Amino acid sequence: MNTSTARARRDQDNNEGTGNARLRPGETSAVQGVNPRITAGIRYATDGGIPGEWHLRIIRSSVPAGRVTGFQTALLDDEIIFLTPDDVDAAGLPAFGCQIADQTVLTREPKFVGDAIAAVLAPTLAAARIAASLVEVSYERAPAVFDEMAAIAPDALLVHRSHATSESDSAYFDMRPQDGTNVCHRFRIRTAALQGRQEPNVITELDDSDTALADAFAQADVIIDEVFHTPAAAHVPMEPHATNAQWVEGRLEVVTGTQTPFNMRQDLAHIFGLAADDVRIVVPPMGGAFGAKTFIRTEAITALAARVSGRPVRCVLDRDEVFNEVTRHPSTVRIRLGAKADGTFVAKRIWAYVNTGAYADCGPGVAQKMGYAGVGPYRFEHVAVDSYCIYTNLPPGGAFRGYGAMQSVWASERAVDLLADRLGIDAVELRRQNLLREGDTFCTGEVMHDSHFEELLDDAASAVGWEKDGDRAGKGVAIMLKGMQTPSKAEARIQLLPDGRYEVQAGTADMGQGASEMLTRLAAEYLKCDVDQIVVCTPDTDRVPYDTRTTSSRSTHMMSRALADAAQDLLQHGTVGHGYVSNDGGLDPDTGQGVASSHWHQGSAAASLDVDEETGVITLRTLYASSYAGKVVNPHGADLQNEGSMILGLGSALFEELQFSDGQMTNPNLSDYNIASALDVVSISHKVMQIPGAEVHGLGETAVPPVPPAIGNAVASFGYHVTRLPMTPERVLAAAPSHEQASPPVGHIQGEEGA
Amino acid sequence: MTWIQPTSVDAVVRARAENPEAIIVAGGTFLGILVRAGMLEADDWISLQDVRELTRLQSLGDLSIGAMVRHRRLELDEDVRGIWPGIAAAFRAVASPRVRNVATVGGVLADADYASDPPSMLVASRAVAEIASVRGSRRVPIEELITGHYSTCLEEDELITRVIVPRPQGPAVYRKLRTRSQEDRPSSSVAAVVHQGTVRVVVGAVSDRPHHFADLCATWRPGNEDSAREIGAGYAERIEYIDDNRGSAAYRRRVVAVEVRRALMQVSS
Repeated sequence: MNTSTARARRDQDNNEGTGNARLRPGETSAVQGVNPRITAGIRYATDGGIPGEWHLRIIRSSVPAGRVTGFQTALLDDEIIFLTPDDVDAAGLPAFGCQIADQTVLTREPKFVGDAIAAVLAPTLAAARIAASLVEVSYERAPAVFDEMAAIAPDALLVHRSHATSESDSAYFDMRPQDGTNVCHRFRIRTAALQGRQEPNVITELDDSDTALADAFAQADVIIDEVFHTPAAAHVPMEPHATNAQWVEGRLEVVTGTQTPFNMRQDLAHIFGLAADDVRIVVPPMGGAFGAKTFIRTEAITALAARVSGRPVRCVLDRDEVFNEVTRHPSTVRIRLGAKADGTFVAKRIWAYVNTGAYADCGPGVAQKMGYAGVGPYRFEHVAVDSYCIYTNLPPGGAFRGYGAMQSVWASERAVDLLADRLGIDAVELRRQNLLREGDTFCTGEVMHDSHFEELLDDAASAVGWEKDGDRAGKGVAIMLKGMQTPSKAEARIQLLPDGRYEVQAGTADMGQGASEMLTRLAAEYLKCDVDQIVVCTPDTDRVPYDTRTTSSRSTHMMSRALADAAQDLLQHGTVGHGYVSNDGGLDPDTGQGVASSHWHQGSAAASLDVDEETGVITLRTLYASSYAGKVVNPHGADLQNEGSMILGLGSALFEELQFSDGQMTNPNLSDYNIASALDVVSISHKVMQIPGAEVHGLGETAVPPVPPAIGNAVASFGYHVTRLPMTPERVLAAAPSHEQASPPVGHIQGEEGA
Repeated sequence: MTWIQPTSVDAVVRARAENPEAIIVAGGTFLGILVRAGMLEADDWISLQDVRELTRLQSLGDLSIGAMVRHRRLELDEDVRGIWPGIAAAFRAVASPRVRNVATVGGVLADADYASDPPSMLVASRAVAEIASVRGSRRVPIEELITGHYSTCLEEDELITRVIVPRPQGPAVYRKLRTRSQEDRPSSSVAAVVHQGTVRVVVGAVSDRPHHFADLCATWRPGNEDSAREIGAGYAERIEYIDDNRGSAAYRRRVVAVEVRRALMQVSS
C-alpha cells in the first residue's frame, strides 16, 4: 500500500501520481505556470459579461411567515421595472423545486425572513439598490415555527398546506411526505427482522419508548441513548451567487455559477414551458460553492426579469443574501446504541430530525444520507432509522459539503465513545471489533467492497499516539462512511481540434476543487499526450454531454471513467470520442434496502488537544484525518481537498453557527460569523490513502464528518460531554463534570502563566 | 461624492471645520465594513492617506505614535517590542496581517469599537491622545477619550493626531481570550502594566468601554495568588457585561476573573 503523507510528499522531488507531468506541490496547474485563480486570470459569473445588462435586486420578506398585502412603489423612477408575484402568475410560471415542487419564483406568502417577494430592475446597480430601498411592503403576519422538534410536534402549524413531489431528475427516489405534518420526506431503514411492523408514521418525541422495535435491543447488555444537535452553518463561497440571463430568439441563455448545469436546464425549461434544448446554461469557473450553488437559486428570477424587460439581466447577491440563500440543515439526532458486555454491537436506532427550512430543496436527499451515514461502518444484527425532513420558517437548508453525514456522524461517533466508556473498553478497540470488513453486509443489504476502515482507524489512532488501554487524556478518534449520489450518470466527449490539440467536453463544473485540472491530467494520461495538448471547455449545455451534477464527491470517480471511455473511443474512431458511465441503485424509502452508494467514501480523524478548565477554551495539538482515495489523480490537489474538508470540519466543530432571532439571521456577515483562518489550522496534518491499481474514489468531503466527533471525543476524555455543536468554550464549561464527582479531570492546562 | 485628500494636519482640520459632516477616513478597515453593510453613507470624505506627518513613530523618550501609524508597524518595530512590549502585543493581537497592514492607531481610537484589542492596553499604559482642531490642540487620556459604544469625547471639528505612551518602568502583559477563530475579536481583553510598583489592570471588549478600577489595583500584592484572585473577582463583579457572538455576559463575568488573575500573576514573574 502506498500511504505517503502530505509531508513526505512535500519532500519528494516529483509526485507518484499519474506520471504524465513532473509537478511540484504548489504548481497547482497541469498547464504550467501560476494558477489563474491566484493571478485574477479567471472571469467568474460575478464579473458579468453581457453588454447592456440591467441589474436586478431582490426584495425580501422581513417577516418569517405571513402574507404580502401590498407594495408601495410611488417613489420609483419611471424607468425602474418592478416585478411581483403578479408577474409570475401572468407568465404562468408553475411551482418548482428539485425534489419537492414547493417554490415559486416570487411568493406572496413568504415563509422565511429573506424569501423573495418582489424584484426591481434598473440600468445600474446603484439605481437598483436605491429602487429596492424605496419599495415599501405591507404584510399580514402569521405565526411561525423555527425549531425542528417544534415543527414535527403533533399540533404544529403547517409551513406548507400540502406536499407535491417534483418531476425533476433530482427527485431520484420516492418521496414519503407525511400529510398533515411538516414532514416532506421520511426515510427509514429497517433490517430484515424489523420490517413489516405496525408503527406510528412519525415519532415526535425525543424520549419516545419505541415499543414497536424495542426487541431489537433484547440481546444488548448496555444501551446508550443520547441526543445531539448541529446548528445551521454557512457555506461562505468567496464568490457570491451570480447570474446573467438573456433571451435570444425565444431561447433562454444563462451564464451562472452552478454545480448543477443539467438540472438547471431541466428546471428552467419546466418553469418557462420550454423544451430542454431551448435553455442553455453556461458555467464559468466558480469562486467556491461547497453545495451553495446547486439547483435554482438566482436563475429563475433573473430569467423572468430578462423576459419581461427584453434585456440581458444580471443578478449578484450581497454577502448577507448569500448567507440567507441556503444553509446547512440544523439537525437533532437521537442515537440508541446497544452492545453486549464483550463489546459486540447488537442494534442501532437513529432518529434524525432534519430542519430543511421554508423549502425542501434537496433536504429529502440530505435526510436519507444523514440516516444511513449515522449507522456508521459497523456490523449490527438490527438497524432501524427514521430520518425526517421537516419544514420550518428558517432559510432553506440545502446541499452542504458533508451532505447530512456530518450531522449524524457527529452524533453516532460520540455515542460510540460513550458506549466504550460504559463498557470499559478502549474506544479504538471497540470500533475495531465491530468494523465492517470486506464482504460484510451494511444495513442496506449492500456487501462491502474495497473497504479500508481498519487501516484508516489505525492510521488515525497512531497519529495521536493512541496506545491500547493507555492514557487517552485529550485524545479522540472517529471513523465514518459516506455515500455518493446513486444513481447517477456521466458522459464525456473528446474532440480533436484542427490545431492538433484535444478538447475535453464535460459537464463537471470547476468551483475551485480542480475539476479542469483533473480532466486535463486524465485526458493526457488516456490519450498518451502532454498536458498542454489538452483543452477543457467550460461546461455549456449546448456543447457538453449530460452529467448528473458536480456534487457528492462524484465527479472524479464518475467522470474519470467516462473520460477513459471517450479517449478509447477517440483513439479507435478518429476525431471524436464519446464515453458514458452510469451507476445504478437507490434505496427503498420505507426499508432502506437497496444500493445506497456505488462506492464508499471512507475516512477517519483523530484529535489531540487541551481544554482550559477555567475558560473552556480548546487548544488543538494535533488534528489529523485519513481519507481513502483509491487512485489519486492529482496528489497536490488531493491534499488540498482533504485539508479543505478538515478545515471546514474544524470550523463546524469549534465555532461556525448561524444564529437567529425570531427567524431572522443575526450574523450574516464575516465579522459576526467566523470561519477558520490560517492561524486556526496550524495543528492540521493528514493522509490521502492510496492503493495502486484501485479505482478513483471521491475525496471532496470525506474528511468533513469525522473531524467534529474526533474533537468531541477528545474533549469528552476530560469529562466534558458536549452534545451541541459548535463546541464553544461556553458550552464546554457548561458540560463540565459535576463537582460531586470524584477527582478533577487530569491533563488540563491552567493557561500559560508566564510571559 | 467628494474625496478630499489633504497633505497636512492643518489642511485636515480646516477641511473638517468647514464641513463637519465630512467623514475622516484613516485605514478604512472599520468604515469600509460600515459602508459595505449599508450602515454609513456620506457625501464628503477626508482621507488622511497623504498626511505624512501623521505617520511618524518616535521612541527616544516617550513613545509618540502618529495617528496614521499602522498596527503592523507597532507589532514589528524593534524599539516598541523591546521597550513597550505590551503595546506591541496588543496590536499584534488584532485580526490578521492583512488588517494590521492598513488599520491605524488613530482609527482604532476614533472608532471606539468595544471589541478592539488596543484600547485596554493603551489605557493600562497611561497613553494620552493628542487632538487637534482649528481652535488649537489638547491632550486627553485614552480612558477619557472613549466614553462608550462607538463614542468618544472628540468634538466634531477635532482630529486625533498622535498617541503618546510613557516609557514603562515595569512589565506589561496583554491577554486576549478568543472563543472562535484565531482571527476573531477578543471575548475579553485584559491588559496589566506595572509602574513604580503599582499595577494598572484594564479590561476591555466585555462592555461599552475599557474598565480600570484603581482601588482594586491598589490592593495588589505582587506574586500573591490570593491577591490576584481577589482583584480578578472584584473586576468580574463590578463590570456590567454585554452578550454577543463571542460570549454571554455570564461567561464573560466568569472568564474576566480568571484572565485578570492570570495577567497579574504574569506581570509578577
